Amino acid sequence: MLNPLIRRGIRERLRPKNLVASGLFSIIACATLYLASFFDGMQEVIPASESESGLAELISIPVNGARGAFTVLLGLQGFFLMFLGTGRVASVTAEEKEAGLLDYQRMTPMNPSSKILGYLFGLPAREYFMFLLTLPFLLHCMVVGKIPLLNLLQLYAVFFCSVILYHLTAHVIGLVVPKPRAASWVARLAVLGLYVFLPVLGQAGISFLSFLTILPTYFGKIVPHLLAEGTESLGRFERQVVTFWQEIPFFTFHVSPTTFTFVMQGLILLALFATAYRKWRLDSLPAFSKPMAIGLFGILQILLLGSLWPFFSQGEASGLLGQSLQLDPTKVGLPDQLKNDSLPSISMIVVQSTFFVLNLASLLLLINVCCPDPHRQLKGRQRSGKLGMNRVPLLADEAPGGLFVGALVCISTVVYAVLHLLAVSSETVQSVAPSAKSVFLPGLVLLFTALALRAAREQWFNLGFWGFVGLLWLTPMLACLVLAVDDFLGNSQLMLNIASLSPLTFFPQLMVFLAPNIFPDPNPLINLSTSIKIGVITSAILAIFLSITLFRTLKK
Amino acid sequence: MHYGDFVALNHLTFSVNPGSIYGLIGPNGAGKTSAIKAIATLLEPTFGDILVDGISALHQPERARGVLGYMPDFPPIYEDLKVWEFCDLFAQAYGLRGEERQAKVLQSLYATGLKEQMHTLCKTLSRGMRQRALLAKTLVHDPSVLLLDEPAANLDPKSRIDLRNVLKKLASDGKTILISSHILSEIEDTCDSLGFMRDGGMALSGTLDEISRQKDRATQLKIHLLEPYPALREVISRIPSLSQFEETGTCKTKFRVSLDGGQKEATQALAKLVETGVPVSEFICQKPRVEELFLELESASKERGKC
Repeated sequence: MLNPLIRRGIRERLRPKNLVASGLFSIIACATLYLASFFDGMQEVIPASESESGLAELISIPVNGARGAFTVLLGLQGFFLMFLGTGRVASVTAEEKEAGLLDYQRMTPMNPSSKILGYLFGLPAREYFMFLLTLPFLLHCMVVGKIPLLNLLQLYAVFFCSVILYHLTAHVIGLVVPKPRAASWVARLAVLGLYVFLPVLGQAGISFLSFLTILPTYFGKIVPHLLAEGTESLGRFERQVVTFWQEIPFFTFHVSPTTFTFVMQGLILLALFATAYRKWRLDSLPAFSKPMAIGLFGILQILLLGSLWPFFSQGEASGLLGQSLQLDPTKVGLPDQLKNDSLPSISMIVVQSTFFVLNLASLLLLINVCCPDPHRQLKGRQRSGKLGMNRVPLLADEAPGGLFVGALVCISTVVYAVLHLLAVSSETVQSVAPSAKSVFLPGLVLLFTALALRAAREQWFNLGFWGFVGLLWLTPMLACLVLAVDDFLGNSQLMLNIASLSPLTFFPQLMVFLAPNIFPDPNPLINLSTSIKIGVITSAILAIFLSITLFRTLKK
Repeated sequence: MHYGDFVALNHLTFSVNPGSIYGLIGPNGAGKTSAIKAIATLLEPTFGDILVDGISALHQPERARGVLGYMPDFPPIYEDLKVWEFCDLFAQAYGLRGEERQAKVLQSLYATGLKEQMHTLCKTLSRGMRQRALLAKTLVHDPSVLLLDEPAANLDPKSRIDLRNVLKKLASDGKTILISSHILSEIEDTCDSLGFMRDGGMALSGTLDEISRQKDRATQLKIHLLEPYPALREVISRIPSLSQFEETGTCKTKFRVSLDGGQKEATQALAKLVETGVPVSEFICQKPRVEELFLELESASKERGKC
C-alpha cells in the first residue's frame, strides 16, 4: 500500500488544477529551452572555401543539436528537483514542525523510516511530476544525439541519488532550524555549500569531496559523448576535467567515479537518515548521539586517509593540485625566493592545511551538536540523581563532552600521524620533516582548540558559543585584512601574530613553519617561530582558562 | 520535567479511571499543556513514568501512541487537504485498511458533525470547524485514551454543547478522556473528576465532592417553604448532618444550611423535615462550583506566596 504521507503529497499538490498549471509550466519551459538549444546547436556553417557550390552553406546536423541541448535539459531537471524540490521539503518540514503538525505524525505508530520516506517523496510530488514531463525531451535527446543508454542510466542513477541526498539534507535542516522562513534558504545554502563549494576542495587533493555532486559522473561518463560530430578531441578544459574524473586514486587502488559517488553519497545519506530518525523519534534529541558522532568522524577520517594516501606515499595528486605539481614554477609567477623544488612543499602545505581546516570544521560541528549546553547537562544530572546513579553515563547525550572531544582529537591526530609516517617513509616525497614535533605540535593545538570549544559549548548558550567562535576564528582574519591594506610589508609580522590567534589561519602557518627548505633564504621581515609560539600559548591559555571556568560552573 | 533550570512539572502524580472524563485546570503556566504533551510522548520527563492503558509512555512510546489520541490547543491542519482526506491520512497512518478505514473515517466525521463539510478543503473551514476536523482526526483510529488540550477554545455555544455530548458518549463507550481547559463551566459540566494544577504540581485531585471535602467545603442546601415555619431552626438543629442555618430572604420562607455528607445524608435530612411537618416546597443540593474552588485555591496560593 502507498505510504500515507506520499499519498497526502499527491492529494495536496497534484489536484487537477495544479497538474495543468505545473504541467504547462514544465512543458513550456522545457520546450523553449531544449528546442532553442537544439536548433541553435544543429546549425553549422560550411565556409565558402569548403563548400562544393563555392558559397557559404548552412547545414543541419541534428546529432550536434541534441548533444548541445542535453546539458540545458539536465540543468532544467536539476532546477525542478534540486532547487524547487529542496526548498519545498525544507520549508514545509519547518512550517509543520512549528505549527505542530509534525507532532501528529510523530504520534502515529508509523515507523520513523516510513515517515522520512513519506516526506522525501510526498512533499516534492509536483516537482517530480514536472520532471516526468521532461522525459520525452530526454528520450529525443538520447535517440537523436546517440548518447549511450548505459552512460545515461549511470548519470541518472547518480542524479536521483543526489536529489534524495539534497531533499534529505533539506528535511533534516527543516527538522533542526526553528524558523520556517529561514529553513528554505538555509537548506538551499547548505546544499550549495555542501554539494557545490565543498567539492571544490577536491581540487586540493581531498578527492572524495568532489563526489558529493553529479559532476564527476557527468564529466566522466557523459561529456566525452557530447562532442560535436567530426570533432576529434575535447577542448583543453573539458579534457582536464574528464581526465580528473576518470579514475579515482583511493589508498592503493583506483575506483570509478560512479561507484565512488554512490559510496560517498550513501554514507552521507546514512548519516542524515540517522539524524532524521532521531528527530522523528523525539524532537528534543540532539542530531547525533556521541557514539554516532565518533563513528561519522571515523568514517570521515578513513575517507581523508584513503584520498590522501597516494599523495603522501607517492606525491601523486589529482585535480588542480596534481596539475600544479607538473607546472614549471618559473613560468607561473612564483616568488623568486622559491626554488624550483619548492613546489612539492607548497602542495604539501596546501594539502595539510586543508586537512586541518576540514578537521576543525568537523570538530566545530560535532562539538556544537554533541556537547550538552548547560540546560541539557542539568537535566542529565537531575535524571541520574533521581535514578540513584553517581554520574551521567559517559556516552549519554547529557554527559560532559571531555572524553568525546579527546576521542575525536585522538582519531584525527592518529590519521595525520599515519599520513606523516607515510610521507617520511616514502622515497619520492621529500617535503615533510621527519621529526616527532611535526605530528605532536598540530595534535596538541587541535586538542587545545577542541577543549576550548567544548568548554564554551558546555557553559554558554548559542549566542555565547557562536559569539566566541566568531570572535576567535574570524576577527583575527578581518584584522589582518585591514592591516594588509594599510601596509602589507610593514605589518607582516604583526599580521602573522594576529593570524596565529585564529585556528583557521594558525594551521597553515604551522605547516609552513614545520616544512623543510621552503624558504632557503629567510625573510628578514618575518619570524614565524614568534607567531607560532603566540598561537600555541594562546590556544593553551584559552583551553585551560575556559575549562577551569566550566569546572567551576558545573560545581555550582 | 525541566526546561533548563525551570521546573515545568514537579512530582506530578494523578490517575484517571477508565471510561471517565478528567479535567485539568489551573492558571497559565501551571503545566497543563506540558503534562498532556508528556503523556502524549511528545515531551520527555526528566524522571518518573507515565502509564497509558498499562503501557509505559516513557519506555514504550510507540506502543503507547497506538492507544492515544491527542488534540493540541492551537489546532494546526493540512490546509490543502479536504476534510475526509485529512482524516483518511491519519486512518492510514494508524494502520487502518480498506473498508474498515472508510467506515472509521465516516464514523468520526459523523460523530463530530462534519458530514456535510467532508469534501471541503480544510483551509476554508472556520476555527470551530477546524477544531471539529481535528477531533475527527483524533477519533479516527478509535483510541482508548483521548488527550484534549483546550478542545472547546474556539467553539460557539452550540458546538460546545455538541462537543460535550460527544465526549460523554465516548466516555460511556469506555474511552478515558483527559481535558485541559480554561472554561471552568465546561469542565464542571463535562468532567467526572478534576485536577487543580499549580506550579507544575497537582494541588487537588478527585471528584468535585471529594475535592470539596478535602477543602472542607460543605454542600449547601437551599430550602424553600410554602409558608413560614417558626420552629425550623430547632428542627434543623436536631438533624446532625445539617449546620450553619441561614435565612436568605425577608419573607421567612427561604433558607440555606450546610450539609455534612453526600446524597444519602441529604435524602435523610429531607425525610426528617417532611416527617416533622415542615412545608418544604424546594430542596436543592448546591455543590460548590468549580469556579469558586478555583478562585479559593488561587487566593490561598497567593496568600502563601506573600507569607
